[in-house]
Amino acid sequence: MATTAVETVRLTIDGVPVTVPKGTLVIEAARQTGVMIPHFCYHPKLKWDANCRMCLVEIEKMPKLQTSCSTPVAEGMVVRTATAVVNEAHKSVLEFILANHPLDCPVCDQGGRCDLQDFSHEYTPTTSRFIEVKRVFEKEYFSPLIETQMNRCVQCLRCVRYCDEVMDVKALAPVGRGTMTEIKHFTHHELDCEFCGGCVQICPVGAFTSRLSMYEFRPWMLKRADTICTYCGDGCQITIQTKENELIEVMSAHGAGRNNGDLCARGFFGYHATTHPDRLQHPLIRRNGQLIQTTWEEALEHVAETFTRLKLQHGPAAFGGLIASRCTNEDLYVFQKFMRLAIGSNRIDSSARYGHINGVRALRRVQGTHRWTVTFEDIVSADALLLVGTSLTETNPITGLKVKEAVKKQGAILLTIESLVPAVGTISNITNLATHHVSAHPEQFGNIVLGLIKAVIEEGLVDQALAQRATSYVQAISEAVRACPWPVIENATGATSSTLKETARTFARAARTIILVGQGVLRAPGGYGIVMNLLDLLLLTGKHDQPGCGLAPLAEENNDQGAVEMGTVAEFLPGPSDLNDRPARERIAGLWKEELPQGAGSTLIKMLEEARTGKIKAMLIVGENPVGSLPTGARAKEALEQLEFLVCQELFLTETAALAHVVLPACSYAEKDGTVTNTEGHVQQVRQAIEPIGESRPDWQILSALSGLLGYPLEYGESREILKEIRSLIPGYGLLGPAPTPPRPDQTVVDRYLREGYTEDLASRYSLAGEGQAERGSRKEGSFALVVGQTLFHSGKLSTRAKGLLQIQAAGFLGLNPANAQEIGVTEGDRVRISNEQGEMTTTVKLLDRVPEGLALFPEHFAEDRLTDQRR
Amino acid sequence: MVRLYLPNDTSSRAAGAARLAEVWQERTGIELIRTSARGAFFLEPMVERDMPEGRMAWFNVTPDDLPQILAGKGGTPVNEIPFLRGQTRVTFANFGVTQPLSLDEYRAHGGLKGLEAARTQSPEAIIEEIRISRLRGRGGAAFPVWHKWQVARETEADRKYVVANADEGDAGTYCDRMVMEGEPFRLIEGMLICARAIGADTGYIYCRQEYPAAAHTLRAAIQKADEAGLLQSHGHRLRLEVVVGAGSYVVGEETALLESLEGRRGVVQARPPYPAEAGLHGKPTIVSNVLTFATVSTILARGGEWYSSMGTERSRGTVVLQIGGRVKQPGLVEIPFGATLAEALERFGGGMAPGSRLKAVQVGGPLGSLFPVSKLGIQICYDAFAKAGAILGHGGIVVFDHETDMVELARHYTVFTAEESCGKCTPCRVGSLRSREILERIQAGRGTADDLALLADLGETMKTASLCAFGGRAPYPVLTAIEHFGEEFRRLTK
Ligand SMILES: Cc1cc2nc3c(=O)[nH]c(=O)nc-3n(C[C@H](O)[C@H](O)[C@H](O)COP(=O)(O)O)c2cc1C
Ligand code: SF4
Ligand code: SF4
Ligand code: SF4
Ligand code: FES
Repeated sequence: MATTAVETVRLTIDGVPVTVPKGTLVIEAARQTGVMIPHFCYHPKLKWDANCRMCLVEIEKMPKLQTSCSTPVAEGMVVRTATAVVNEAHKSVLEFILANHPLDCPVCDQGGRCDLQDFSHEYTPTTSRFIEVKRVFEKEYFSPLIETQMNRCVQCLRCVRYCDEVMDVKALAPVGRGTMTEIKHFTHHELDCEFCGGCVQICPVGAFTSRLSMYEFRPWMLKRADTICTYCGDGCQITIQTKENELIEVMSAHGAGRNNGDLCARGFFGYHATTHPDRLQHPLIRRNGQLIQTTWEEALEHVAETFTRLKLQHGPAAFGGLIASRCTNEDLYVFQKFMRLAIGSNRIDSSARYGHINGVRALRRVQGTHRWTVTFEDIVSADALLLVGTSLTETNPITGLKVKEAVKKQGAILLTIESLVPAVGTISNITNLATHHVSAHPEQFGNIVLGLIKAVIEEGLVDQALAQRATSYVQAISEAVRACPWPVIENATGATSSTLKETARTFARAARTIILVGQGVLRAPGGYGIVMNLLDLLLLTGKHDQPGCGLAPLAEENNDQGAVEMGTVAEFLPGPSDLNDRPARERIAGLWKEELPQGAGSTLIKMLEEARTGKIKAMLIVGENPVGSLPTGARAKEALEQLEFLVCQELFLTETAALAHVVLPACSYAEKDGTVTNTEGHVQQVRQAIEPIGESRPDWQILSALSGLLGYPLEYGESREILKEIRSLIPGYGLLGPAPTPPRPDQTVVDRYLREGYTEDLASRYSLAGEGQAERGSRKEGSFALVVGQTLFHSGKLSTRAKGLLQIQAAGFLGLNPANAQEIGVTEGDRVRISNEQGEMTTTVKLLDRVPEGLALFPEHFAEDRLTDQRR
Repeated sequence: MVRLYLPNDTSSRAAGAARLAEVWQERTGIELIRTSARGAFFLEPMVERDMPEGRMAWFNVTPDDLPQILAGKGGTPVNEIPFLRGQTRVTFANFGVTQPLSLDEYRAHGGLKGLEAARTQSPEAIIEEIRISRLRGRGGAAFPVWHKWQVARETEADRKYVVANADEGDAGTYCDRMVMEGEPFRLIEGMLICARAIGADTGYIYCRQEYPAAAHTLRAAIQKADEAGLLQSHGHRLRLEVVVGAGSYVVGEETALLESLEGRRGVVQARPPYPAEAGLHGKPTIVSNVLTFATVSTILARGGEWYSSMGTERSRGTVVLQIGGRVKQPGLVEIPFGATLAEALERFGGGMAPGSRLKAVQVGGPLGSLFPVSKLGIQICYDAFAKAGAILGHGGIVVFDHETDMVELARHYTVFTAEESCGKCTPCRVGSLRSREILERIQAGRGTADDLALLADLGETMKTASLCAFGGRAPYPVLTAIEHFGEEFRRLTK
């Protein structure tokens, strides 16, 4: 697609000339001249519906008044928004609306930010000449989190349209005729949907409200902090509203942040996690086997003393550090600096290890970038999108909205390789929008990618320029895929060669293509190789360096990307630079005025092993809970119990913190300032909304205090000073603009890869995974392949402390295909015992059409059923 | 064996044709041929037979009349029936003559000539022919047909649709039903011509729920047409389907109809885009009234020039009126545009029913304006009606007699609009309900002069601000009632 200059149109509005892009609506053109035309049903995010009739204007040469929200501008158009006729029309329509409105403003949550209230002040009188009784709807229970007050509804249908057009959930519908139309949901009992809160946010009056914040406040009494949600890698901008240090509600303004005001359930309803009563308020220290409350002085001194002693005894290499990539860049940076300087160890890792690091490593190796070469905007304007193992709505809901927008509004082609199958449900299902979908067991994602590459080679879809530039590379891959016969691929994956060829053709034909890779690939064994192969796919089809094209690994945690860039993973220094990159080491040492420690880093898994074997004696774990998050097979608990000394900085007494010798209470994101870097590589500002809970402190402050006691003072007055230091290492870090400027692939790196770089692991990447295993479909009767994944309503374990989210989903479940469930004689709500090599547990069955037969879906958040007990 | 012709459409059957058929079924010596109806419903059941002197008809026949008919006594030559003789039957020329599902008869009576002509012409030439005919849509909005076709033709898309609007919602109108039950091939032919002109590959006939017989006949006709290879043209086969409607008045509005066709609530959508640009599933779609399509085939067969030679300057061709209410001769009348309302009533209505005097006439269905006796001189054509703030609509004419209570009638209209408003836009949703409440207040003797002003104000808002013509027209019957019969309202107010 060539970038052509945008066509513009000139018109005058109330005598003021304006020039706007062709296709702009009159109401928007007016806004640009500073004229706000009253409106209810119009919202820039939605396709106009022109139902409220509030926005009428006079347009020369048109016989009747026109709705400005549905009239595109035309050259030479003359619009008048404030003539007597127009004012009269506005007044009359408003009178009609008020004729049905209860005017219970004093008790309405919307009071103070209600469009109806605002507009009726403009057009006195605020009452209506219609004296008959207003309509009264029977109050119905709507849902645990969303409440409706249908008497207030002005029937603009914004909620219904939002739920359909933006969310693709379609949970709401107008029911009934005429004035008695009510907004209802489809399920027979209570609303069952994504709980994105979008309907609450977009309702222009107080007809949809959040139960979490109902009647507790008046909007103008609230304090607001614009910050970033920490539940996933999308990094939505949110506004936390508080009153006297209490969280009242979260919202996100239209146009705000990378999410453009859209949120998911976690962002909108999950905010109470940070003020959960279980939050750690004071430092804890282990005395006679028990963790007991202590003072900061005592705790810190004890840690400093013990660290010093162990360092003398065993050397700095006996220390390991682990940090959650939910922390801010400032926390992460100070953490690795602390580990490297104050302790002297490179044994550092973070939760980016679980998956995200695999994507970054592949990007660095092939194209020399550690970030996406595309943005959300590129996703929206892509011609084709290929999703591999994303479970997009559940893991990265806002990236999901961008994909939905691309497909639904811009007509992009969607290709999906996911473990779920298309099926309509109460939660949107990205595969429903796919033109080509390949459903496969997660273990087969790699084989399907091989099949796609084989199809590209066989169908002659290899880019000519590349074929000339990198003959031996193309040759080597061609040979490699030749060794993977179709029957074997088909048998293993269940996808036919014709499907894969068709998918490959569609992918290759499109001009702007983006591959989104999710945790299903990134976290899987061999995930790194699959990402490498997907980059090969981009290279082979000649898209790799094309504008708007790229491969985008989806970060799961809110600051996975920052954790890599701050150098809190085993292989990287800040930058990220390789641990043994000499110039980088010199530069950092120069800035820190201190030599960097020698020695290799250790990954999380290696550290646990080193702890078990006694090589590591002490660990500092910040916000991460390996005991709770890792599969039992990793034997994290056993490893940590071996340690002589374990220090945790935490919000809650997690399974890991419960093993610690000292637990230091840390602030949540709501209590501190800093920055986080989202999945696109956009650095955004986290701002303090409430005072720290109890005695908790920001992680970097704790580390800073400890460093002083250890004799290596890392002193910072406020988080901004840390960011300044980060910037001196990584120039320009966090130019906090509205959108990221993505890097371009480094062609010298690409050349090196195409010349020789690819050879080192080609053979292993291009061999079929699990070849020779039992045939597909031959599972033992009553046994299922368990897919552990995320649900939309939780993120890691933090969200299981959010009362709102617990009301939507309080416990784990086992998602089964209805046909399978019938086979084994269970149904919705039945308690079942599931077992595998690693153990067994009891959970509840949920029938889901989108789970393919033979698979069982299990959310990862509720490893222990303890939670179910806590509920009531 | 004597061949007797007996209409088989819903109106005639209800008038007694069904019973005749049932009783006479057993009789030997007669062959009952079930035809379409002529539309002179005050004469139904009407039985015809061929006699040496031509077609003879017997009116309001009962089973016992058979001997007389067989004897050939007491009949009236069909071409001497005044009600029919005065008409210019174009679209309804074959009504009462042919059997609905006989393709051969249809062909023998001039059917399919239009289609044949169209198939030898380029799409542009077809549209040009329609342009020359100056045909305007018969569904109510009276939009030039060629222009819509042109837009749909010129809008590029991988699919296009033709949709026949057979929702016929106006009470007292039935010409669409008569076409579907009486000469279904005529509708199919018109749709095929349109499909060829715009390049559509799929067609739907959106038929109102209350017309099961029409849907049934159409389905049978589509099958016959398909078997005869008619749906095939230039290597394409038009997929044609009958869809039964959702049963509300507003669903007849074209955007609401398309919503309903897509399986959603039949609610009006804002235009633009017009269906001709982006209609069904977002593709260019021609939505036209059944009568419009039914007229197209004759235009193609006989030429646009010929068609446009009838009627007035800006309303060419014939108008199909359906006269009902307190007249002696209710029925379907096809005449060139241009007669006055008074003339039409006089020539065809046959005067008022015994004992009643004319008080008011409503033209154009439940949203049409009311005319008092003094205003019946209006010419039947789109322009004169538009100028008077009235509509021709679908050609329905209801005559009210001197006993009609105008306040009650006005209230009745508001009950209708309040119930039928699709509820999408504020002015209509709220306005129709509030109008009803005000009228009920007045009826109960609790109204004031201010209330009449409020009704007028409210009507103005509905007219200016409503999204579709339903809300835009809803105030007219009420306001014209107040305008012409104000005394009846004022009497009740304080
Ligand atoms: C409330 C309302 C009801 C309508 N009902 C019908 C109907 O029953 N049949 C019909 O053909 N057109 C109906 N129309 C008009 C259609 O919207 C549309 O103009 C027509 O089908 C176009 O066909 P034509 O060009 O042949 O007139 C209605 C319009 C409105 C506003
Ligand atoms: S909260 Fe539920 S109903 Fe409301 S917009 Fe989101 S998905 Fe739709
Ligand atoms: S609930 Fe709110 S958003 Fe939905 S239709 Fe009513 S007023 Fe509009
Ligand atoms: S005018 Fe009435 S019928 Fe038409 S869109 Fe508005 S509410 Fe619906
Ligand atoms: S804002 Fe334009 S009609 Fe509602």
